[in-house]
Parts: sequence; C-alpha cells; structure tokens
Amino acid sequence: MSNPDHYKILIADDDKEDLFLIEEALTDLGHGAKYVFNGIEVLEYLEQCATLPCVIILDLNMPKLNGTETLQTLKKDARFEHIPVLIYSTSINPFEKEKCARLGAKDYVAKPITHHAILTTMEYFISFIKD
Amino acid sequence: MLEIARVTLQNEMDLILANKRAMVLAELAGFSIGSQTTFATAVSEVSRSAIERCNDGCLTLGVNDERKRDKYLFAAIKESGPRFIENENIANAQRLADKFTIVNTADGNTLSLDFFIPGSAKLTAPVIESWKTHFINEPPFSPYEEIKRKNEQLQLVASKLLESESQYKTLTNSLPINIFSLNLQQEIVYANEWLTSYSGCTIESINRSKWQNVIHPDDYKNFSNLLKRATVSESTPIKIQSRLKQFASDKYLWHLVSLSPIKDDKQNIVYWIGFLVDINAEKIVEETLQENRILSEKQSQFRQKEKDLQEDITELNRSNTELSQFAYIASHDLQEPLRKMILYSDYLVNKNADKLDARSVDYLKNMNHASYRMRTLIEDILSFSQVNNKELLLQPLDLNVVIQQSIADYEMVITESKAIISTEVLPIIQADPSLIQQLFNNIISNALKYSREAVPPIISINAKNENDEVTITISDNGIGFEEKYLDKIFTLFQRLHGKQAYSGNGLGLAICRKIVQLHNGSIYAKSAVNEGSTFFIKLPIKNG
Repeated sequence: MSNPDHYKILIADDDKEDLFLIEEALTDLGHGAKYVFNGIEVLEYLEQCATLPCVIILDLNMPKLNGTETLQTLKKDARFEHIPVLIYSTSINPFEKEKCARLGAKDYVAKPITHHAILTTMEYFISFIKD
Repeated sequence: MLEIARVTLQNEMDLILANKRAMVLAELAGFSIGSQTTFATAVSEVSRSAIERCNDGCLTLGVNDERKRDKYLFAAIKESGPRFIENENIANAQRLADKFTIVNTADGNTLSLDFFIPGSAKLTAPVIESWKTHFINEPPFSPYEEIKRKNEQLQLVASKLLESESQYKTLTNSLPINIFSLNLQQEIVYANEWLTSYSGCTIESINRSKWQNVIHPDDYKNFSNLLKRATVSESTPIKIQSRLKQFASDKYLWHLVSLSPIKDDKQNIVYWIGFLVDINAEKIVEETLQENRILSEKQSQFRQKEKDLQEDITELNRSNTELSQFAYIASHDLQEPLRKMILYSDYLVNKNADKLDARSVDYLKNMNHASYRMRTLIEDILSFSQVNNKELLLQPLDLNVVIQQSIADYEMVITESKAIISTEVLPIIQADPSLIQQLFNNIISNALKYSREAVPPIISINAKNENDEVTITISDNGIGFEEKYLDKIFTLFQRLHGKQAYSGNGLGLAICRKIVQLHNGSIYAKSAVNEGSTFFIKLPIKNG
C-alpha cells in the first residue's frame, strides 16, 4: 500500500465504471493507485507529488486534455519523460496504436472485457513498480 | 481645209450627185455661171475616173484656206488601191483647175483640184459655216440621194456602236470580276475574259453543261435554282454564294453570284446581267469566326459542365466524409457502453456465479455472446471508416514480413486446424504497413475460417511481378462460393454464409477492397463451391 503522494501507479480515466473495477482489482491484488480524471489532473499531480509514480496509465478519450495530448506533454518534459506511459483504451484500432507508439508510449493496452483479463492487466501494471 | 460636203462614189447616180453638189457649192461661192460649170465639170471628170477605177472612192468638197487671203474651192477624191493613172478624165480636170495635186500614201491616194474663189479675201468663217448648214438642210436632190443619206447615217451609228462595244469589252475585261449576260434561256450571251481564264472552260462548254463544270457540286442545286428564278419575273437583283472551280489551282473558291434583270419599255425582262465576285477570303474569315464562336460556346459549356461536376464531386466528398465521420463516431462511442455490458456480465458469470442459479447464468452467457458479436461488428465498422479516413503512410514494405506477421497473428487457429500455409518469396513494395497488414490478415483469416469440415486448410501464396505491378494470389481449399456472388462479396454487410456456421459480419472483404483501392490497386476473386477460392491482389510496386 502506498502513502498519499507516494503512489507508484497513476491512472487517468474519466470512466468511473472502469475505475470502479480497476480499483477493486488493484485492491484485491494488494495495491493502491492515484486516480485522476483527465490529463490536466495528471500534470497537476506530477507537479505536486512527493515522489513520481513508476508508471502512468492514460485513457485516450478524456476531457480537457486527452490521452495523446497528455502523452506528448509528458514526453517533452525532462522531469517526466522517463516515466513509462501505458495507453489504456477501448479502441483497439491499429492506427491509434501506431500513433501512440510514435509519441513514445511504452505500451498500448486494450481495456479488458473479462474479469480474468482485468486481473491480468492489473498485474501487468503492477509489474512496472520499482521499489 | 474646211470640209463642206461629201459624196461617196459608187455608181453613175453618185456621179450626178457629185456634179449637182459641185454646182451648188460653186454657186454659193459666188462663181459665175461659166465658172460654176467649169468646177462642176472638173469634179465630174475626176469622179467618173474614180467610179471607173474602183467603187470605194469618196469625194470631199470644201474650202482650202491654207493661203490665208486667197481661198479656193477644192474637190478631193480619196480612194484606196493603186496609184492614179493619168487618163483623159483626169487630164481634162487638170486643165480646168487652178491647182492640181496628187498625193500617194500607204492608205491610198488623194487627188485634189483647187479653184480660186473670186473676192475670197472677204470670205469669213461663219459664211463658210453657213454653206455647210446649207448642204445639211438641203432636201435630197433625188430619191437615190435620200436613201444614200440614210445609209450614211446608219453606217455612222453602226461605227459608233462598234466603237462603244469595243470600249465596253475593254472595260469589262479590265475589271477584276466576272461580268456576263444571260438570255432568257439561261445561256451566257456575253462574258468578259475573266470567266474563261478563271475556269479554263469556254463559254460554249459552260452553257452546254449549264455551269455544272464550274460550280461546286454541293452548291449546284442552289445555283441552278437561281438560274430558274431568273426566268420568272424578278425585279430586284438576286444573289447567292457559291463555290467556283479555279482552273489554275484546281480549287473551289467562294463567289458572290448576282443577277439583275434588264427590262424593255414595257417592263418585260429582256436579258440578265450578272456578276461573280471572289469572296473566298471573306468567307474563310466568316467561317473561322463562326467556328471560333462555336468552339468558344462549346468551351464555355464544357467549363460549366466541369464546374458542375466539380461541385458534384465536392458535394459527394463532403457527404462521404460526413458519412464516414458519422460511422466512426457512432461505432467508437458505441464501443464503450458495449464493453461495459460484456465486462459486467462476465463479472456476474465468472466472479459471482456462485450467487446465481444455473438458468440465470445461462441467460447471462447468451447476453454476453450477443454482446461479443455486436462488438465485432462495431469494430469492423470502425475499422472500415478508419481505412476511409486514414492518411496513407507509404514506405518500403517487405510483403514476406507482412505474411509472417499474419501467420503469427493466427498461430493458434493454424495449429488447431492443422492448416498448411506455403508462400513464395514476395517483393518489397511501396505501401502503408498497417493497412496492408490488415488486408492480408483479413484474407488469410477468411481462408482459415471458410474451410471445409474435417479438411485441414491448405493456403498457398504466390506472387508475379509485371510492369511495375505485383499480383499476389492467395488460394485455399475451402468451401468456396458461387461465382455469381463475386460482385457481392466485396460490398458492405454481404454474408454468403450463415452466422451460426461461420462468424464474421460481411465487412472484411469490403475493407480489403478499400485498402487495395487506396493503394491504386485492384482485388478480385475466383471460386467454385467446395473447390476453394483464389483471391488476386494487384498492387503497384512503386506507389505515389
């Protein structure tokens, strides 16, 4: 369990139904994460957090600053560009995938559609955590 | 020399006339009776000699005023032919005259007799002029003289006419146009030299052929109508345009043909005067202008059509874009709630199954399956609309790598179905990697999917390079399809097989066709039921 402002995982997704299951799964796996609802909140959190997260999970379709815009901003900022960013989206469109890879995303993960896949995906996120 | 009277010498009657005239003139000149007779006798003698020698002599009576103060009556005989021969008559005349001369010239001979006029110093020109009037006004001396006078007048008129006609011909021949006259039988009566030199045809041959040897065949009907109209009464000049053959160039040149009627006192048409003027240059300019006008009209029509077409294309593009944007947005936004349905039903079935009875689990499973199908459908619509909107990223692409990736993507199915995929060495082409990957994935997955029951799929991939183009053939040994469905398979939502037996939603090949079209290629297939299918994909090796 991470302390506030010391979260190892930062997840940005405006979809509360998704977050509901992610939070449940991460908790079941014994982990916590910082949940924000758009790209602006990602940047705000990074500016004020005590330690930077080990991995950032970005949904693509978000209000204010969407996933790709956030990704671009992060990759241009020397303080954050080293943090692996995983794109986490409903879209499994290869063009989208291609674009995110070009912009520097570490990986592109399709949002799971089964309980089993949710657990597997969360384990994958957790695997980025470094002590 | 002042001429007062003249007598042509042809016969005995003229001799009498000559004698009479000489008498009258001598009387007018104030000669004594004796001198009158002497003068008349001398004139008679030379006249007789002239009549006997030839009959074209001419006697001229007049006053010789060459010696200023002294004036003489003179009688001169002019005749053509040989020199005068001294004969008795001439010798007699010579004795009687005060002066006698003979002049021989190339034209003929002139014999002159001069008789002194007494008191001639006082003789004035008006007096001599009055003698002339006397002779003109004098009534004919005899019926013979009357006839002779009329004859002379006629000859004068005739000679004037001849002179005028010759002037007229010279004039018309010097004109740069053809002037001709036609009689009422439409025959050329007169034409200036222009017509024969221009056409190289004689007037006779033009008349014989009724102008057919000169007028262009296409214009002849019109021209011949003009001639026919000329037979009926027309008061104004009638005009047409017609082509006439020029002998020198063997070409037909445009001419203006005009006919004007010439009428007598009773307004009857006697004949026609016509002219032909070369208007070829004007005609060519006119035709060129006309052609230019037609051309520019056509051009503006063409431009308008082009504009309309461009507008149609723009409108079509706009509505196409709108439609594909709609498809994208609709399918994209549908994905999200659908995924939740699948996910939450899965949670119920797989996480909370122990809290549900068996029937409820079945219901949920069915719901879950249906949701999955809907998901595939939405994904395909999305993918189709994305292909449509995608910007092509052309780069060298090794098709061997693409095929290996497809095989890797379907590894599980290939293993399960014991499929055998053989492939030739494929070329490197200029193409969009993700689209081409999708293309081959779709074709290969179809070949794997539509296999015959209990028959392991055999898929062979071959390539043939031809004219900067590669044709890739992908053949399978699957269920195939009737060739009459060939057109259908590449269109949206066309399924040839039931959903229960084969999954899919009829978008795969439509997407393939779209991808191939984006690469300026083509796709077609050959198949027979239970004999497998072969897909032919033609792609340019160097695109763009």
